[in-house]
Amino acid sequence: MLSSEEIIRTVEMLKNENLDVRTVTLGISLRDCAGPSAEDLCGRIRQKIRKHARNLVSTCDRVADKYGIPIVNKRLAVTPIAAVAESLKREDYVTVARALDQAAQEVGVHFVGGYSALVQKGFTKGDLHLIHTIPEVLSGTERVCASVNVASTRAGINMDAVSLMGRAIKETSLRTADRDGFGCAKLVVFANMPEDNPFMAGAYLGFGEPECVINVGVSGPGVVKKELERAIQSGRKLTLGDLSEIIKKTSFRVTRVGELIAREVARELDVSFGIVDLSLAPTPTVGDSVGEILQCLGLESIGVPGSTAALALLNDAVKKGGAFASSSVGGLSGAFIPVSEDLNISQAVQKGYLSLEKLEAMTAVCSVGLDMIAIPGKVDADTIAALLADEMAIGVVNHKTTGVRLIPVPGKDVGDKAVFGGLFGEAYIIEVRNANRSSNFIRFGGRIPAPLTSLNN
Amino acid sequence: MSQEGQKAWVAVTVIGRDRPGIVANVSGVLYHHRCSIEELSQTVLRGQFAMILIASLGEGAALRSLRDEFAELSRNIDLDINLRELKSEDLAPYPAGESEPFIITVRGEDRPGLVFGITEVLAERGINITNLGARVALLGQRSEYIQVFEVDIPKSLDYSLLKEKLRRRGKEMGVSVDLQHKDIFRAINQI
Repeated sequence: MLSSEEIIRTVEMLKNENLDVRTVTLGISLRDCAGPSAEDLCGRIRQKIRKHARNLVSTCDRVADKYGIPIVNKRLAVTPIAAVAESLKREDYVTVARALDQAAQEVGVHFVGGYSALVQKGFTKGDLHLIHTIPEVLSGTERVCASVNVASTRAGINMDAVSLMGRAIKETSLRTADRDGFGCAKLVVFANMPEDNPFMAGAYLGFGEPECVINVGVSGPGVVKKELERAIQSGRKLTLGDLSEIIKKTSFRVTRVGELIAREVARELDVSFGIVDLSLAPTPTVGDSVGEILQCLGLESIGVPGSTAALALLNDAVKKGGAFASSSVGGLSGAFIPVSEDLNISQAVQKGYLSLEKLEAMTAVCSVGLDMIAIPGKVDADTIAALLADEMAIGVVNHKTTGVRLIPVPGKDVGDKAVFGGLFGEAYIIEVRNANRSSNFIRFGGRIPAPLTSLNN
Repeated sequence: MSQEGQKAWVAVTVIGRDRPGIVANVSGVLYHHRCSIEELSQTVLRGQFAMILIASLGEGAALRSLRDEFAELSRNIDLDINLRELKSEDLAPYPAGESEPFIITVRGEDRPGLVFGITEVLAERGINITNLGARVALLGQRSEYIQVFEVDIPKSLDYSLLKEKLRRRGKEMGVSVDLQHKDIFRAINQI
């Protein structure tokens, strides 16, 4: 029996607290499209995507309407293109990317992830072709997202890949200089990349996944914040443990929304239900911010001492609540700190509260990594590679996923603002200290071996 | 009068000022007449007590004398008590047919005509209300008049169109109206 309080509370969450399903991502395997002819491959890709995804947007809209919960993004995730296009020539890779782009446009999705390669232990020919064509693809298409896994706890860190990706990021930003380096917002470098992540830009369909699968990303920093505020304003004496409980229970509710929506969309499309990713993913809307949650927890701003501990509390509470709410939790699942996508975090950079070093520390305890960070355009590729290496090391040693989405903004420096628009928001450029001092380290290349803790059989 | 193999049923409704002892008095009368209370629901609104119960009449129970005793009780303790004789087919719930449970929430400033405004739209479409509550709620600093309707919407009906119609009606009356499937509330609030 539902009480009217529960009903009102639920409606409040949906209407005033920005509770929504952030993304419904349909994974489609392109393994059976592979072949020696680029033209045939493109044709098969377009056909397969059309066949399985043509009803995705309309189904999502219908389910969203039925439950009164917005589904903000509909997306696709495909088999790593490096594998699908393995036997093709380098220039064909760009053609394949364009076919993906067109297919995504045809079915009406915002993004398609999967222009990807997994190179933690070394490269195949296809992997290298893909990596070298990333700048051209990201500047020449609209909806294609790229990701490269350069490290894993089992394999260690492929420093040759790290070096190549440092260059790829730099070049992508130069090619999209007219849009403040926006191409880089569609590129993530990973350690321990998850196979079922529904969020962009790192979504791809892993090799253990079925033909078609629905993965859902929920969100709700606004809901969490409102619950914390209510509790704090009630005047009760609360400890951090109590606040953690509140976040946990709220996260339960938020995840339930995702689970319900995911199962119904999957059922309607006659496709497997994969996972719910219970990440607290912020948007530039005021009130929908992870930075504001940290302020609720008593920090003047994200980035001040205590931020890492507070984020650890938040990340863990989110996971516990979510894990109880759904039997199939996956993807990244935790708290995100994407700088440009969270107005509060972006402002913390501008006001000087938040440094790159502090962000790096926080990535050790939260679920994504150095995400959506605008850096000065002049930073050299080797420094970018070294930053990647640092973040990969955190992921590899701690048995977690870490990702990097750095956006060098050509022609701009600290104090300037990069404007990306929409959900990508705008970002104040953060200082990168000690640039130009790491080239010799990067130049060694090779692989940083896997840590001892990976030998856990 | 009861027959072998076929029970007789009554619905009893009671309204009056709330105070201790009402249910005891009413159930006492039923007990003396060897009636068994099958189901009961009661609520209090603004100090007024209201109850409906369904009772089956025992062997040899006499409806006339039950009515008389309730009439006397009603006079003695100042309550409106009504007895309604039921046939067993009266006990079946309204056949909603193939339908889905939805929840309508109406929020805004209280004014005359709000309940009718919504229920008219529902009645026009043959939609049955299974539960209804309305009260003033405090949300932070503001107070709001809130109605919550649980309804069964026939599968043949397009709930999107209904939502549009309800929203428009709500706009005319200066209130906000939402229509959502009940499962979302269950999912969020129940383990």
